[in-house]
Amino acid sequence: MSIREIFFGLNDFEDDVNDNGGMDMAANFNGLDEFSELQKTQRYIGIMHKIDDVNQGLLVLEHGDSAEYQLIIDCNKLCVDIDKEILNGHNFTRDTYRLKLPELESLVPHPIDYARVLKKIGNETDLTLVDLQGILPSATIMVISITASTTRGKLLTEENLNKTIDACDRVLDLNFAKNKVLDFFESRMKYIAPNLSSLVGSAVAAKLIGSVGGLPALVNMPASNIQLLGAKRRTLSGFSSANSESHVGFFQETAVVQHTPPPLKHGACKLFAYKSILAARVDLARGDGTGNIGRKYRDEISKKIENWQERPPAKLPKPLPVPDLTSKPKKRGGRRLRKTKMRYAITNMKKLVNRMQFGVPEKSSLGDGYGEGYGMLGQAGCGKMRVTVNHSRLAPRVTNMKCKKTEQDRNDATSGLTLSLPLTPVQESSSLIPGQSSYFSKLGTEANEYYWQA
Amino acid sequence: MRLTKKKEVDSVIRDTIDKVLVLRFGKASDLVCLQLDDILEKSVREVSKFASMALVDIESEDVQVYVKYFDITLLSSTIFFFNAHHMKMDSGTADHTKWIGAFQRKQDFIDVVEAIYRGAMKGKLIVTCPLPPERIPRFQLIFKDV
Repeated sequence: MSIREIFFGLNDFEDDVNDNGGMDMAANFNGLDEFSELQKTQRYIGIMHKIDDVNQGLLVLEHGDSAEYQLIIDCNKLCVDIDKEILNGHNFTRDTYRLKLPELESLVPHPIDYARVLKKIGNETDLTLVDLQGILPSATIMVISITASTTRGKLLTEENLNKTIDACDRVLDLNFAKNKVLDFFESRMKYIAPNLSSLVGSAVAAKLIGSVGGLPALVNMPASNIQLLGAKRRTLSGFSSANSESHVGFFQETAVVQHTPPPLKHGACKLFAYKSILAARVDLARGDGTGNIGRKYRDEISKKIENWQERPPAKLPKPLPVPDLTSKPKKRGGRRLRKTKMRYAITNMKKLVNRMQFGVPEKSSLGDGYGEGYGMLGQAGCGKMRVTVNHSRLAPRVTNMKCKKTEQDRNDATSGLTLSLPLTPVQESSSLIPGQSSYFSKLGTEANEYYWQA
Repeated sequence: MRLTKKKEVDSVIRDTIDKVLVLRFGKASDLVCLQLDDILEKSVREVSKFASMALVDIESEDVQVYVKYFDITLLSSTIFFFNAHHMKMDSGTADHTKWIGAFQRKQDFIDVVEAIYRGAMKGKLIVTCPLPPERIPRFQLIFKDV
């Protein structure tokens, strides 16, 4: 188990809110030296010295030199390590200061701000004597002073206090060192990652690479993660969440995004994130050394943002439609129309056929469900004794033209005793149902005549 | 569209197919003419599917042939064409061949154009004006002495 792991293990205990305070505190104080180990390592000291040398011009690194590149990589790693250390330190100070002012950690989540505030407050109970201007926004200061007056915390012992402030100092030192590294980084950025720095600006590029720990790491991250790099968690302190910028990371510091109107900032950051990965890939492969690709992407993004802001084209009034010349026959009521409609209306019989009684299979023309169904016709309970065919007076009568007396027939008749209607024995026997057409019987008549003729 | 030459007028009349052509003869400086022009411009796009418009300046010399042919004497006269046929409209005034004066409302003008369109599509050469007589501008012919 490494020292770090021991420390992390201890940390887990401390996450319980229940006061295990006493025992952990003792263990913690050994941990203080452990967490600040980084500052004592050779690596750290060596790199910081090198940076100083370069900055002062004592050490000249040629661009594209492998030594420079190695230094950059080391710087990257160091940045990440410093971040971790700062976090450790923050955890430590937070845990110790919980006894004094437990609400502070939720009001001031940012490690550096927390450390600064802690140093200023120290062991004070009356926060009106403490001047927090410049470290925090005034709203937060107010909230802190109110919570401090009602806190359930107790004063720290002298020894505890000293150790805590010591830890804060170290956190701040680490932060300072990190900023130094980043500045150095920024100055070299153009030669390390020209495209990325021409896309988002060297400061943001430096921060991006620094927070991820190297260009290769940046390239391997998905774009949605990169978008959120550097996003701070801010407390609301009772204010509405409408104005708190959520999900914006380092990209909001680029010049282009600063100039976009607030509703479009999200989309702009997204665009930058996607393009920055592409630019980073180019840089990793040492493709375009001049940074042209980055510039091209930046121009594209600017144009896109401008497009978003364009107004939609003016709405022209719609021209009137061509006058309709088809004169539709006016079909609106009247006695005549009603009567013509009634000729084609559904008859009562049909209505009964269309309905069925529930649970009773309907009778059909061929029996057993075959053939046409009869529905409610003739069923018990439909209210009719038997099916009657209502002859609508309006339905057209089908008249058989052939049955009518023609002129010729009348002329042919010789004696008054003979009937002008041609009657054969066949026709005599069949009884004509009144109303039914005699079409078939007529056919039979003619055939019979012919047959009997010969 | 502003037309000044006979050729342009010719081409416009010939080239407007299946649409009413509204030809306004007038001066750009006259008050009544300006009113009329204003209404025409406002309704150009609305009527664009079945009508098109052109403005002819009376004062240009090239066009005097038309001025004489249509007997345009009063300020602004509007003549309707359909497929190169001259459409007449009976609006209760003496002259059926043209519309004299301005329109009171944009809708009036659109109604007139629609009436002409319907009549023309049916094959009539003269249509009746759909406007009530109050809204039809009447001019008193003032002779030299009276």
